[in-house]
Amino acid sequence: MFSWWRTMQESGGLWNSIKIIYRRSDLRVGTLVGEDANGNKYYENLRYQFGRHRFVDYKLKEFDASQVPPEWHGWLHYMTDNPPTKVPPVPRKFHAEHQANWTGTTKDYVPYSTTRPRIQSWIPPTNKQ
Amino acid sequence: MFRISSNLYKACIYRHTPIRYFSAQQPSRAHKYMYVTSHPDYIPMDWKSTMDRNAQTLLLTELITGLMVVIGSMFKEPVTINYPFEKGPLSPRFRGEHALRRYPNGEERCIACKLCEAICPAQAITIEAEEREDGSRRTTRYDIDMTKCIYCGFCQEACPVDAIVEGPNFEYSTETHEELLYNKEKLLNNGDRWEKEIAANIDADFLYR
Repeated sequence: MFSWWRTMQESGGLWNSIKIIYRRSDLRVGTLVGEDANGNKYYENLRYQFGRHRFVDYKLKEFDASQVPPEWHGWLHYMTDNPPTKVPPVPRKFHAEHQANWTGTTKDYVPYSTTRPRIQSWIPPTNKQ
Repeated sequence: MFRISSNLYKACIYRHTPIRYFSAQQPSRAHKYMYVTSHPDYIPMDWKSTMDRNAQTLLLTELITGLMVVIGSMFKEPVTINYPFEKGPLSPRFRGEHALRRYPNGEERCIACKLCEAICPAQAITIEAEEREDGSRRTTRYDIDMTKCIYCGFCQEACPVDAIVEGPNFEYSTETHEELLYNKEKLLNNGDRWEKEIAANIDADFLYR
């Protein structure tokens, strides 16, 4: 609630502020800490109350909370004070790309058995000699 | 008119209650039993009480006091987290979605000892093991029914090789039940995706491990 006039100016004017409020029902500005591979931007402003001083601006219009990748997840959840721009994670060759929660879409996870069946069906002999 | 506010009414009653104390000046009353409150219908009708009562009613004292509290709250910064944009604090030990981890060389850690399956109080874990081509013991089936799981964290405490962990992710709600029946492939994928943060959390907790 500090200096709403300056907040509005830093958000890019009245019209942009209205658009941002329509999108995320709140208007806040902060210093850009970094940007992840998907283009989500992460901000911090220590003048806001503690516990609400880190926030994310999603790239996609259809934003979802699960779009935050794991390297930024810990910083955004106040688990650590080290954003990946400061302390990059140790690279491993098996690291996979982050996926959002795809439930309700065609990309969702469908369970399947990872074992071969105990009972094989009988394949009748063919008389093609 | 004085019946508008029961609290005000009671306060007036209590204020004019003749409370008596044991004292040296009144030795004769010491043996008498005194009511602490007077009769509920008793309304003091002396000038001061009447004026106070009517003044508070006519000047809307209580309404305006309440309104000031509301107006004061309007100018406070709200503490409610604007969720998808801001997120709440979590512990590095947070027990969320499960993941199967790998060694730094890419080899999967799980050796199918089935300690997690044995300790699981909800019996959510199902493991089947087989010998792999190279002779090492590995699981062929590692299923967790996430709808049975109670997120107690016993599986990651039981695991001797830090293979099964409960990662920091909790945003995996699904639309159907079957999407929460995780198999080994899904758990290993979770591990590969979240390993950056899982490793950081384990490092952060090294003093207690």
